[in-house]
Amino acid sequence: MGSVLGDWPSYDPHNFSQLRPSDPSTPSKMTPTTYQPTHNRTLPPPDQVITTETKNILLRHIYQRAEEKLRPKRAAPEHLLPEHGCKQLRASVQDTPC
Amino acid sequence: MFRSNNIVARIFERQIRTPPPGTSVHCARRFYENLVPSYTIYDVECPDHLFRKFTDDGQYLICFSRNHQELIVYRPTWLSFSCTEEDCDVHDLPPKAKKFDSFFTQLYCVSLASSNELICKDFFLYMESNRFGLFATSTAQIHDAPAVGGAIQGVPSIEKITFHLLRLEDGVVLDEKVFNDDFVNLAHNMGVFLYDDLLAIVSLRYQTVHILQIRDSGNLVDVRAIGAFCREDDELFLNSNAPSMGIRDKSKQHQLTENHVENGLQQSRLSPENAFVSGIKQRLLSFIFRGIWNEETNHTLRVQYLKKKFYFHFQDYIDLIIWKVQFLDRHHLLIKFGSVDGAVSRTTDHHPAFFAVYNMETTDIVAFYQNNADELYLLFEHFCDHFHTTSKNSLYMNFISSHSNNIHTREQLRSLRNKATSSSQFVKKMLASLPINSQALSPSPYFDQSLYRFDEKLISAADRHRQSTDHPIKFILRRPPQTLRFKIKPGPEGGNIDNRTKKISSFLFHPFLPFALSIQQTLFLQPSAVNVHFRR
Repeated sequence: MGSVLGDWPSYDPHNFSQLRPSDPSTPSKMTPTTYQPTHNRTLPPPDQVITTETKNILLRHIYQRAEEKLRPKRAAPEHLLPEHGCKQLRASVQDTPC
Repeated sequence: MFRSNNIVARIFERQIRTPPPGTSVHCARRFYENLVPSYTIYDVECPDHLFRKFTDDGQYLICFSRNHQELIVYRPTWLSFSCTEEDCDVHDLPPKAKKFDSFFTQLYCVSLASSNELICKDFFLYMESNRFGLFATSTAQIHDAPAVGGAIQGVPSIEKITFHLLRLEDGVVLDEKVFNDDFVNLAHNMGVFLYDDLLAIVSLRYQTVHILQIRDSGNLVDVRAIGAFCREDDELFLNSNAPSMGIRDKSKQHQLTENHVENGLQQSRLSPENAFVSGIKQRLLSFIFRGIWNEETNHTLRVQYLKKKFYFHFQDYIDLIIWKVQFLDRHHLLIKFGSVDGAVSRTTDHHPAFFAVYNMETTDIVAFYQNNADELYLLFEHFCDHFHTTSKNSLYMNFISSHSNNIHTREQLRSLRNKATSSSQFVKKMLASLPINSQALSPSPYFDQSLYRFDEKLISAADRHRQSTDHPIKFILRRPPQTLRFKIKPGPEGGNIDNRTKKISSFLFHPFLPFALSIQQTLFLQPSAVNVHFRR
């Protein structure tokens, strides 16, 4: 049996010809190092299922903001101006005299 | 990724290098820097049709006859000829290159409109997965139509609007949907939005959003109609219970609300059957109410805010009508509300407008913004691509340059924002493009801002008519060596003799081939000058 990569196309036919795979009849003495965890705090719950969120990120942001607004606010007004500076549902129609 | 600009060197590099993760399409697109429609054939002899657009998969060219009654579909082919000489590049193209037939084969010609109807030449939607095309025919518009049967005053009426669903392979009409005495804004696909297989048609006159599904068999199936009723069985429920006195107890109704609702209704133009606010209007008002209610825990302050922010503008809120709608995903709609006057006028700047996100499944309004809301603008700036919702099936549609996926477009937006004198006006201007028109942008890679720089006023991905100039439109490479790569010149070769008449040009780019048509028109009855730009 030739080299594992010997039959594949290559620019130079002599490339990879020196490579010899390990003989399958004699098992290799080297075993890769394995690491075992010493605790089980990071195990996932046994019934965990990981799926993709169906809502796209735009809708996720919209829902997040909506939930923040629906939560009853504190009486103190210092947090009423969030970072974007304009988050109130006020209509500015009142500015133009009808 | 490529080290050289030479196409052969790039092909060899492509054999041995993999592109950085997630950029395989962008790397493949870079070959469009090498293959360009640089050769122009001026004034091709072509039939006198109105050329609408190439379908997004590049399979068909959609045209309408001049009398707006027939649909003609062509298949784009390529010029082929044989040359027996040794060096063929020196030769000019054969005379048949000047014929339209060398580039296109006619597939069929179908008559869509009957005697008094006209095809709306600005309306066309393509469903790529099944190769269906949606067209619209309508009779004449009647202004000052009386408001009968639930219609609102001020919106014109069209006696008959028909949507035709065609299989584009053979031109067979699969299904039709007719709206009688209604008004749907058909220009540039404004009143209709296609998302995968769902269609949202906004009936301005009856204030209903019709959701239809296009099935694989070609049937247009009604899914729901949002407007006066939100769920499918609302009408049954309301008719079977005590009429007109009950007020829906979905929202937390205050004693004041009841009086104000009744006062508001006496002034409004609702017919006696709908003596209370129902459907989407009710959802909207109760959402606004609850939003203001939750802002304060102190009861007296609450009532004060309500009076100032809600009841003071109550009549304005009641008078809001649906202007435009788009899908955000299969269950959510972005609805633009405004006043009746702004619905049919061309400039909507002076009219107040509001945006609402509506969940069709739970029939809840999720969010409500005014049209100068910074919050909505930030969402638009960061997630613009999610507003341009496209079918999952078409890969290249996700690469249309927008300010969320392209750094050059983003820089343009930043500079616009810095130059803007008023932040609120800037936000209003940007949000005026929402909800977006369905399938309004061409997916051609030549409009990709990371490949080419061009004058946006003269040509762009949006298929609108533009003012025509005599100078050719230059496409310059973005990347080094940043040279001029090709030019598109509409109109006759020697320039126009008559410079006094205004000319408009439109451009049709094939979605993936280096091929474009430029059409220059002067007056309506004169035939247009069509140039073919392709890679020779």
